[in-house]
Amino acid sequence: MPPFRFIHASDLHLGRRFANIPQPPDGNIRGRLMEARHAAIGRLAQAARDHGAHHVLIAGDTFDTATPSPHVLRQALTAMGEDAGVQWWLLPGNHDNLRDAEELWATLARDAPANVHALATPEVRQMAEGVSLLPCPVTHRATGRDLTAEMPGTATPEGDIRLGLAHGGVVDFTEDGAAIPPDRDRSARLDYLALGDWHGRLTVSDRVHYPGSPEQDRFKHDRRGGCLAVTLGAGAPEVAEVETGSFLWREAELPLLAEQDADKALRDALPATGRRDILLRLRATGWARLPEQVALTRAAEDAAPDFAHFELRSGALGTLYETADLDEIDRGGALRLAANALRDESEDETRAETDRTIARAALARLYAYVKEDSA
Amino acid sequence: MKLRAVTLENVRRFTTPARIDGIGDGLNVLCEPNEHGKSTLFDAIQALFFKAHGSRDREVKELQPHAGGAPQVSVEVETEQGLHRITKRWLSKPLAEVTRDGRLIAQADEAEDWIAGLLSGGQSGPAGLVWVRQGMTHLTAGAKKDQEQALEARRDLMSSVTGEVEAMTGGRRMDMALTRCTEELATYATATGRPRAGGPWKAAQERVEELTAARDQLSETARALHDALRSRNRSRRELSELEEPSEVQARQDRLAEAQQAFDAAQGHARKVEEQERAVAAARLARDHAVSRRDALQGALAEQQAAQKAVTEADAAAAAASDATEGAEEKRKQATEDLERAKAARQSAAEVLQRARHAQAARDGAARRKELLSRIEQAEAARKNLETARAAARHGPDAQTLRRLEDLAQALATARATRDAAAAQLVMRYEDGAAQVTLDGAPLPDGTSVAAPHGGRLALPGLGTLDLRPGPGGAGEAEVEQAQRALAAALEKLGLPDLAAARTAAEARQAAEAEAREAASLLDAHAPDGIDPLREALAQIPQPQEETDDLPPLPEAEAALSTADATLAEAQSAQATASDGLSEARSRSASTQAALQAAQDRLARAKQALEKLGDTTAEALATEVAQAETALTQASGTLATLREQAPDLASAEAHLKRAKSAEENARSAIARLRPEIAALDERIRQGAGEAVEERLAETEQELTAAQADLDRIEHEVALLNRLKEALESARASARESYFAPIAAELKPLLQLLWPEAELTWEDAALLPEALVRDGQEEPIRILSGGTQEQVALLTRLAFARMLARDGRHAPVILDDALVFTDDDRIERMFDALHRQAGDLQILVLTCRQRAFRDLGGRALRLESVEG
Repeated sequence: MPPFRFIHASDLHLGRRFANIPQPPDGNIRGRLMEARHAAIGRLAQAARDHGAHHVLIAGDTFDTATPSPHVLRQALTAMGEDAGVQWWLLPGNHDNLRDAEELWATLARDAPANVHALATPEVRQMAEGVSLLPCPVTHRATGRDLTAEMPGTATPEGDIRLGLAHGGVVDFTEDGAAIPPDRDRSARLDYLALGDWHGRLTVSDRVHYPGSPEQDRFKHDRRGGCLAVTLGAGAPEVAEVETGSFLWREAELPLLAEQDADKALRDALPATGRRDILLRLRATGWARLPEQVALTRAAEDAAPDFAHFELRSGALGTLYETADLDEIDRGGALRLAANALRDESEDETRAETDRTIARAALARLYAYVKEDSA
Repeated sequence: MKLRAVTLENVRRFTTPARIDGIGDGLNVLCEPNEHGKSTLFDAIQALFFKAHGSRDREVKELQPHAGGAPQVSVEVETEQGLHRITKRWLSKPLAEVTRDGRLIAQADEAEDWIAGLLSGGQSGPAGLVWVRQGMTHLTAGAKKDQEQALEARRDLMSSVTGEVEAMTGGRRMDMALTRCTEELATYATATGRPRAGGPWKAAQERVEELTAARDQLSETARALHDALRSRNRSRRELSELEEPSEVQARQDRLAEAQQAFDAAQGHARKVEEQERAVAAARLARDHAVSRRDALQGALAEQQAAQKAVTEADAAAAAASDATEGAEEKRKQATEDLERAKAARQSAAEVLQRARHAQAARDGAARRKELLSRIEQAEAARKNLETARAAARHGPDAQTLRRLEDLAQALATARATRDAAAAQLVMRYEDGAAQVTLDGAPLPDGTSVAAPHGGRLALPGLGTLDLRPGPGGAGEAEVEQAQRALAAALEKLGLPDLAAARTAAEARQAAEAEAREAASLLDAHAPDGIDPLREALAQIPQPQEETDDLPPLPEAEAALSTADATLAEAQSAQATASDGLSEARSRSASTQAALQAAQDRLARAKQALEKLGDTTAEALATEVAQAETALTQASGTLATLREQAPDLASAEAHLKRAKSAEENARSAIARLRPEIAALDERIRQGAGEAVEERLAETEQELTAAQADLDRIEHEVALLNRLKEALESARASARESYFAPIAAELKPLLQLLWPEAELTWEDAALLPEALVRDGQEEPIRILSGGTQEQVALLTRLAFARMLARDGRHAPVILDDALVFTDDDRIERMFDALHRQAGDLQILVLTCRQRAFRDLGGRALRLESVEG
């Protein structure tokens, strides 16, 4: 029997709008991010062709919500239907669960092209000759139970490859019993368990994998999205990662030291190429003197327009008050009195943290005014 | 600190070293034309004190000559420690050093610290120098009217007053920082700290509110969608359960079964009903037999009783009839007796009447005669009385007559009086002389005749002699008046003269006497009038014809009394007899009625018996027994039937339930189908509107908007905090310096303008107005000269304040008095001289002529060789 090849993907979240990403008035980052999600369909199809596979399994959350807008749905189905040689197997996830998205799945069953299969029931599907697919559609947003529990008892034709498809976590964070046991492949005699829900790539075991989202949507996983090209033959499955994501979401720490050149440190932390497709969040930590903070802010303002999205978070950055820095505000007199009062307040541990933060920010602002004026 | 010398090298035009030497205590004047480098000197000194040697900023670079090079400035200052030389070089090979007595005591940053210490005498102390830069005193308010600019101008004024204390109040930099801070804050908040309409803060707040509302609405819509989905699921499940074929069959079976049971129960119930009717009929028959038997027995007994009653009543009626007849006879006798007694009494009464009449007629004859005579006389008297009274009403009465007499008397008196006054004629006839007449009347002899009116004397034989009285005859008027009064009184009485009046009065008197006489006569005969006499006469009966057969009166009276007694007896007897009769009659009537009743009763009894036909008591008893048996049997059958009856009510309830179950199922199906269709439509619509997608988007937007709002609020908070810190620092700095300055300023102002005073704006701590001779002049309308004088004096005051603290600060004035006229400059210099007693003042000026003679030590800026 020839090896069985397929693409394992999950969490496309089509229709996600990224309203949480600030968009400058003349920018269109949200549109680009949405567009990239749609483009992932084509990339997955391409990955299938490259891999010599005829099947794409999407382990849940194909759509971001239970009610995607009609054109999102329509265009997704049309894109999937473009290559009749690729069969799409769509599993309801928690975002597009059966109950909330009943209408969506009904529409899919009715309107989807012939090569798109909506797995709205848990019955075994014959994907190909000798290959049985055991889908576990998510019925509710929070099921509270392990949907793969029935798998061990599900019969398939003797000698068939048993391919499990499910959506959910393997670690029970909420302890509601909804987690999928990590050894479900063994207990249910599965040749491969294709999982979804986790947006990052995760290997649970040889036969149990999370491919992550094909197009990232958050600062968490620090790599571009992708899918898995799986080959099931004799022995352990061959699982190859295929990068499909166009945007890189990166969150990085920018540790600063007191005497460091903040401007340079920031510039060094920036990627040299591909900035337009990078969403970068830098979290400045450590300590910096007032002038360095000003320099850091200016450097960030300078760099930001290069990126799809750029933000500098300096809440965790402590301020060092050198006498010389305060001297730059003024050596004495009322300005210095004000600066001293603000510094004392920011260092006064008996005060509320918010007051101290505000005092610190006020002092930095005063410094910035003085520097601006003398510049 | 006191300045002693300044050396410049490579400072602007001074490419070769130049030096001012011998700066003394008190007032020093460097008087040079323009472009001789006074401002350069000023800037150089300022740079030395305030620009770090490492600085490369604009102000430092401006010190550089065109040719380039490192500007270097040295200043010799005298302090309590001795004479120091401070040298600074900038830009290339920067240098800062302080030497004392040629010995290096500090260099580089140490030297800077030394300088700072010299200036401040502590971190927040004042500068050691007081500067007045050229033009800094110039206020633009004279030319520009804009209030805000005037304020800024005054701020400049004061900032330059305190300018050199910038280290103290922050001065311009402080103003700048505050302005920036306020400006930035103003984009967010109003003056009261609320979000400004149209500003980003308000916008962010509104955005959050908007998005929250949108989010709430969308989640409500999404919830409705979910509800619809759940409802549809439920409805579908319900429908499929209802339409399940086995379920439908079971429902129908249950219905058929219940129907059958109900029909059976109903049939039995009908049988029971029939039997109940049979029992009722049997009971009716039995009751009928019993009543017929009882009726017969009753009728027989009644007939016997009635017969007996008739017999008894008959006897009683006959006896009563006899008694009635006897009583009638008795009454008839009594009635006759009564009639006779009545007639006897009638005749006795008539006899007595006539007897009494006759007696009365005899008794009244004498009295009648007397009465007739009295009436006759009384009537005659009354007639006389009337006549006399009529006569007495004519003629004057005594009083009237008396008044007439009085009038006549008055006339006589008047005439006498007149005549006495008038001419008197006394004729003494000769014997035989012809009779002389006066107005026809013979004139008596020897008698005085008055001729009040004159008159004509006929003197026979002689003619006539006319006497004419003089005018205004005395008493004539009185006579006429008296005559008129008498005539009027007489006329009123209708009498011609007094004599007639007297006659009439007499006649009247006589009539009155006659009337009185007649009245007393009438009174004697009829004291109560004549009518009572006539009535008394009428009472006396006319005498009648005498009859002889009349008995005497007492006899007649006794006869009548006897007849009365007889009559009373007869009446009583008759009443008794009538009563007896009436009683007998009524007894007879009641016995008759009793007889009639008894006969009726008998008739009825007979009738009743006839109605019962010819049946017998025995036959009826048998009939009763038979009916009783039939009833017992029927009741037994009914009891058995009842015992066997199935429960109809429960069978009916069962059927009802089965029917309603079927009905419910049917109506549920009818309800569910359209319901599901409606839900289908609603869900399709909700899903088509991409509710969840929009909800997710709105939630993300809300999070972002909230973060934005938080950021802005943080920004506002920090700006507020900064503003507050700056304002409080400035306020406290000002408080510590302005009050003493104001105190020092007052005597200085009064040097120029006696009784002048500056008022200060509370909020801005700026001079507001100059008060001279009670006139308050806002600073901005003062002349340029006055303004600069105020500014200058303010600086002097500041320096004085420092000096008073034991910290001498040189006052450097760089052409500070451009607008001031020469006269005023002189007075200013008086002030300066006066100040110079304890201050070092360095005046840089181009006004050589004006300043030449003002005293003070003259300084020269001289090139230094090598």
